[in-house]
Amino acid sequence: MRLTCASAMAESASEKPESYEAAVERLEQIIDRLDSGQAGLRETLDLCREGRELVTYCSAELDAVSEGLEELNLDELAAKLERAPADAS
Amino acid sequence: MDELPGPFPVGRYARKLQEELRRRARVRLVGEVTGVSRSKVQAYFELRDAEGAVPCAIWLDDLEKAGLPEGGLRDGAEVVIGGGPDYYPGGGQASPSFAFRATQVRLAGEGDLLARLEALRRQLRSEGLFELQRQLARPRLPKTIGVVTAERGAARRDLLAGLERRGWAGRVVWAFAPVQDRRAAPAIAAAIQGLAATPEVEAIVVTRGGGSLADLWAFCDETLCRTVAMLRVPVISAVGHERDSTLIDDVAAVACSTPTHAAEAAVPLDCRAAREALGRDAAGLRRAAERAVGSRSRHLVSLARGPARALRRERGALNQKTREIRAASERGLEGRRAFQRRLATVVLARAARRAAGAEADGRREALRRAQVALRAHEPERTLERGYALAETPDGEPLASAAAARAADEINLRFSDGRIRVREA
Repeated sequence: MRLTCASAMAESASEKPESYEAAVERLEQIIDRLDSGQAGLRETLDLCREGRELVTYCSAELDAVSEGLEELNLDELAAKLERAPADAS
Repeated sequence: MDELPGPFPVGRYARKLQEELRRRARVRLVGEVTGVSRSKVQAYFELRDAEGAVPCAIWLDDLEKAGLPEGGLRDGAEVVIGGGPDYYPGGGQASPSFAFRATQVRLAGEGDLLARLEALRRQLRSEGLFELQRQLARPRLPKTIGVVTAERGAARRDLLAGLERRGWAGRVVWAFAPVQDRRAAPAIAAAIQGLAATPEVEAIVVTRGGGSLADLWAFCDETLCRTVAMLRVPVISAVGHERDSTLIDDVAAVACSTPTHAAEAAVPLDCRAAREALGRDAAGLRRAAERAVGSRSRHLVSLARGPARALRRERGALNQKTREIRAASERGLEGRRAFQRRLATVVLARAARRAAGAEADGRREALRRAQVALRAHEPERTLERGYALAETPDGEPLASAAAARAADEINLRFSDGRIRVREA
């Protein structure tokens, strides 16, 4: 689904994407819309702002799986997760 | 109770039961050997599959004749046995027991396993268990992957190499399990369940290297496969080589031929390519924004210059109009002048004509008066009144007596004619 209403885009821009693939799908929609040349100035600027946020999000997601492989056993992960709430508190 | 036959002595009944059972048809059974034990003369074991088990016994002589390889009758071995049900009635001290008396035994061959596999496959497919995992959404870029495999095996290394080729360096959670023997299937199922219970794990890879169908049989375990089918986390199977087909491949979300392919299925996104594409998208967005603002700015500048240009244009048009009007005006004046000239000519002509008419009238009147006056002075009028005019014969008037005397001949002209007068 293509959003064409600038206000709807502005709303969607403020929400965090559900997933990397959802972000990429939305980004592709934005680029298609911009390439069509149909968007007005306000819509174009809103789309560009939303697109930049999506690029930032996707880049962060890629960074999260690019900083070095972490290997651990299931037991270690379980122990880590059990400690996490205590650490947080 | 008294309506039933008997009571019979139990020992006699036990022997009759033994006879009854021994009369039953001899058959072959196939299943997995568990709980092997031996006495001096017999070997005991259970033959089981996912639906049930039968206690079995075989005389050691028969076992020896079967020619199994060393240690062939062991826990986890898939075997085919031939024989029939038997019952040992026991005795005064010995306990009775039931067993399937095997007289033949051999390790299950590929064909036996394939037949069992096919039956299981039909069953699970008919229950719709092949579709459940395939309907799950698989993340394109998981941060955490669970892996079930043998701790020491080539599959582990190949999987890591595949992930590295993807440019993926997230978190791998290992759940090591035996991948070949009767303990394997429950251990694998437990490992998968443990990973699936961890929310961070977004996909699970189950992998091991190649082997015979018997080696891979743990991955055809019905309980394991039912467990996988019901999970809400996608499971990617990579068991054996390309030609191997195990039941877990049928129930998994994705079946891969190698651990390397499993790595690609677990991380569908090529991270390096994705980063490059993201860079292109970011550049595209910048260009779009610059283009949108730039083109509109140019348009605005053009609009801002518009009034001056419009004024110039209007002024030019105005000047042109002025020139045209002036020219038209001059043409109009000249026309009017010409018209007036023509008009004046006509008017003067008319006036002249009118004037000429009046003059003519005056002249005519004067003429008339002159004619009247002239006629009053005409000799004929005088003659009409009775006078006569003396003339020469040539008609010259003789105005004096001297002239008359000088003339040879005088004519007298009356109003009604002439007469010749001779001097007498």
